Amino acid sequence: MKIRRFVLLVTVLLACLGLLTLQSRGYGARAADALAFVTTPLQSALAAIPRGALGLWSSYLDWKGVLVDNRRLRQENQRLRVDALWVTDAVDENRRLRRLLELRNRLPVTTLAGEVIARDWGGWVRSLTINRGRGDDVRRLTAVISPEGLVGRIVDVRPGASIVQVLTDPSSTVGAHALRTRTPGIVEGDPRGTIRFKYMARDGAGIAVDDVIVTSGLGGVFPRGIPIGRVRAIDDRGSALFHYALLAPVVDFARVDEVLLVTGEAAPDLTTAFLVKIDD
Amino acid sequence: MRALVVLTVLGGGFAQATVAPALRIGDVLPDLPLIVVALLALRRGPEFGCVAGFAAGVLQDAAAGGLIGVQALTKALAGFAIGLVGGELRVTQPLVQVPGLALLTIAEGLLRFGLLKLFHFGAPFGELMLYVVIPQALYNGFLGAALVLALAGAETLRRRMS
Repeated sequence: MKIRRFVLLVTVLLACLGLLTLQSRGYGARAADALAFVTTPLQSALAAIPRGALGLWSSYLDWKGVLVDNRRLRQENQRLRVDALWVTDAVDENRRLRRLLELRNRLPVTTLAGEVIARDWGGWVRSLTINRGRGDDVRRLTAVISPEGLVGRIVDVRPGASIVQVLTDPSSTVGAHALRTRTPGIVEGDPRGTIRFKYMARDGAGIAVDDVIVTSGLGGVFPRGIPIGRVRAIDDRGSALFHYALLAPVVDFARVDEVLLVTGEAAPDLTTAFLVKIDD
Repeated sequence: MRALVVLTVLGGGFAQATVAPALRIGDVLPDLPLIVVALLALRRGPEFGCVAGFAAGVLQDAAAGGLIGVQALTKALAGFAIGLVGGELRVTQPLVQVPGLALLTIAEGLLRFGLLKLFHFGAPFGELMLYVVIPQALYNGFLGAALVLALAGAETLRRRMS
């Protein structure tokens, strides 16, 4: 057993020495080629296994990374969309409030800013609820305006809120006149949600389409000169006692969010305060 | 035995090609085929150590592109020697494993250097020992000991499971 063991060792050593001798005598190339014939595929296979495994692992990591990235980006996208909405809304609100503030500074009367918190838009009643009430010393029939013009009047005052009857309410009437011709009349709301200017003048008093109708100040509820609307069409009833002009309101009642309540006792002419708007 | 030799050689070569670069500390790489040959020679005896060492060495020589037969000879001798004296050593003790593998690596390095000198190898002995052989010997010692402990742990676990 021991002899066999040493015979094996000597054989191996002789094989190694033989290989080395062959190489030192210039036959190395052939021996190396012969060995390479066996070892190269083996080495290639050995190298391919970890490369393949690493490639697989790398692909898995990439896939996992892409999955995580995808989820993260989706969430980020959603958050950014919400943020963008908030920003758009904030910019819009900022713009509206700036305009309201500019109007407030221009007006020669004291005003109180309010925010629309509800709308009643049925055919029977058209009203807005604002967040100013008895606690803010709001009184009935206070005029409510926006940077564009007249919104309506307060018809009900509650502890923390007030109800504004808008111009398009069927029971709303406002004393008005045409800015260009001074033709007097009354602006009434109708159930269809539009407003019309009812005037008493047989010859139509020269009212034309696109004329601006403003409050007349008569009756003491609304200050004079607040824009109400522009004449969209004239309904000539021939021999009828009253003529009508259909108006396009200057205020978009469905979209108004902030308003001013005219709280001052005095009711001066506000035409100049709205002049810029009217000229636009 | 043949199958085990093939597995040893391929396993050692595979480990050297894949794991060793990942285990590199500075410029020091462990000689995994030597560790594998030594560990298996301890279990299977000098014949196995000799043949496995020869095969692993040939593969390493071929892969390195140098003189074929140098590492084959040194590793065959190392495998034979460790298989022969392994029975006399308490190889389950790390205090034996670490210096044992380190000494084996140094001996193999010395032998390799001597052989290469016959073929006009030009590297200075001192620097080679200081920067290559001794650091690798220490690394082999600790890695081999860790491997022995891991194998012993796995075997204990396998026995408990069965």
